[in-house]
Amino acid sequence: MAAKPGSAPVTYSPNLGQKTRPPIFKDNDLDWVRPDGRGFHQCRPAFFRTGAVNSASGSAYAELGSTKVIVSVFGPRESKKAMMYSDTGRLNCNVSYTTFATPVRGQGSDHKEFSSMLLKALEGAIMLETFPKTTVDVFALVLESGGSDLPVVISCASLALADAGIMMYDLVAAVSVSCLGKNLVIDPVLEEESYQDGSLMLTCMPSRYEVTQLTFTGEWSTPDINEAMQLCLDACSKLGKVMRTCLKEAASASQE
Amino acid sequence: MVGLSVGEKHFIQGGIAQDLRSDGRKRLTYRPIYVETGVIPQAHGSARVRLGATDVIASVKAELGKPSALQPDKGKIAIYVDCSPTAAPMFEGRGGEELSTELSVALQRCLLGGKSGAGAGIDPTSLVVVEGKVCWDLYIDGLVISSDGNLLDALAAAIKAALSNTGIPKVDVAVETRSDEQPEVNISDEEFLQFDTSGIPVIVTLTKVGRHYIVDATSEEESQMSSAVSISVNRKGHICGLTKRGGVGLDPSIILDMISVAKHVSEQLINKLDSEIAAAEASEEES
Repeated sequence: MAAKPGSAPVTYSPNLGQKTRPPIFKDNDLDWVRPDGRGFHQCRPAFFRTGAVNSASGSAYAELGSTKVIVSVFGPRESKKAMMYSDTGRLNCNVSYTTFATPVRGQGSDHKEFSSMLLKALEGAIMLETFPKTTVDVFALVLESGGSDLPVVISCASLALADAGIMMYDLVAAVSVSCLGKNLVIDPVLEEESYQDGSLMLTCMPSRYEVTQLTFTGEWSTPDINEAMQLCLDACSKLGKVMRTCLKEAASASQE
Repeated sequence: MVGLSVGEKHFIQGGIAQDLRSDGRKRLTYRPIYVETGVIPQAHGSARVRLGATDVIASVKAELGKPSALQPDKGKIAIYVDCSPTAAPMFEGRGGEELSTELSVALQRCLLGGKSGAGAGIDPTSLVVVEGKVCWDLYIDGLVISSDGNLLDALAAAIKAALSNTGIPKVDVAVETRSDEQPEVNISDEEFLQFDTSGIPVIVTLTKVGRHYIVDATSEEESQMSSAVSISVNRKGHICGLTKRGGVGLDPSIILDMISVAKHVSEQLINKLDSEIAAAEASEEES
């Protein structure tokens, strides 16, 4: 996966927040810095590349900081015989972790719900009626878990679906925000995730401005929800642009 | 899942659009809720909640265990949900597994708060007996006996009722032992400690059918949904968790609107539930 010139990782930090609400950190929180030295509303550089797996109909590789994910898409292919007739297509998602993805070996099996979360985030964006009686398989593998794994998996999977030529309304971009004390930090790393008081993950279709999946944990007040959702939506629209550029690059490279 | 004719579908959708649902309720009215506590004598606490034809049981069992090395000052809480094949034939074998995991994860998210334990309905630090050595492990099990929609709200209500019914035995720690040894504990079978359940949130699921959303959808209504958002709200009016079901996307402003509606609905639900729980506790003591 050698990076080509002009495809340096791009960041997608939202530009709101700091402008609208300057005094988020006061007194005791001033000296607090994030483990990787980022600002609270600064995202990690995002690197996407399609066509990571040759045998798949479509695939993508994503790298955000130390989170590394590979997603392959197979199909549409005929649904299993046991399944009932369906005039819309089916989507089958699976997220797995390598045994060496987490600091403690084999800890990735804690994330059984990720597969169904990936399915729910993607199915709203796919035109399932364009491939009746068939199934599209989306297999995601987390090579290295460095925090915000699920958002990276979702963004990467939508890119892989686009690479496979599956009809979609829009790309799906996903961003998460962690709440630490009274600060909101975007795109948390593993260390921040393990101390978070609450988290919010938002996946959306940037051009349609539609939320496909949203989850909250922890206690949130309404102003915090508004702020966190705005941060996520803004970051998602920027992330969408980064993903789009990646697709365009791949398309223009194949034309040459 | 639910076989409906085109006419029935239109009837349901049209009724919701006109704020008169097929069972005569308005869009934001719950079905009557019935609570029974202490239904399972084997458990430390249990409750049965009926919401129309939806029938669920929650039980709480506590066992002494060892806190994890990373969080020595917190007890462990596990929530599992089981969908019995008696509720619907599709839950037979592995059929209910997907729904069970979905419900378990949603309940964990709504009741257990963030990783640091902040915003949790049940305070995990209250479960510690000796820091770093002994703590209570709380196992909360939900069982779906009969399913007629809105399982998540019913399960959350049942868990809230079961926890307020729960008595954790008082534990006496025997003489101070050396720091590397496991202390001896004495479990009292007469004295019980009650939980503070005032902080436990309720879950309000708003199901979007057409352009409107409804609370407490029956399974017929759920089959017509485009998407559903489950919002857990505590007494303070703070959001403790949120999950979205159904594939269709939603506009961000609609979600914010749903959150404010859920807050409003939750106030009535919490009050109703609290009085039902108190009544159930009272009738249990009488018998």
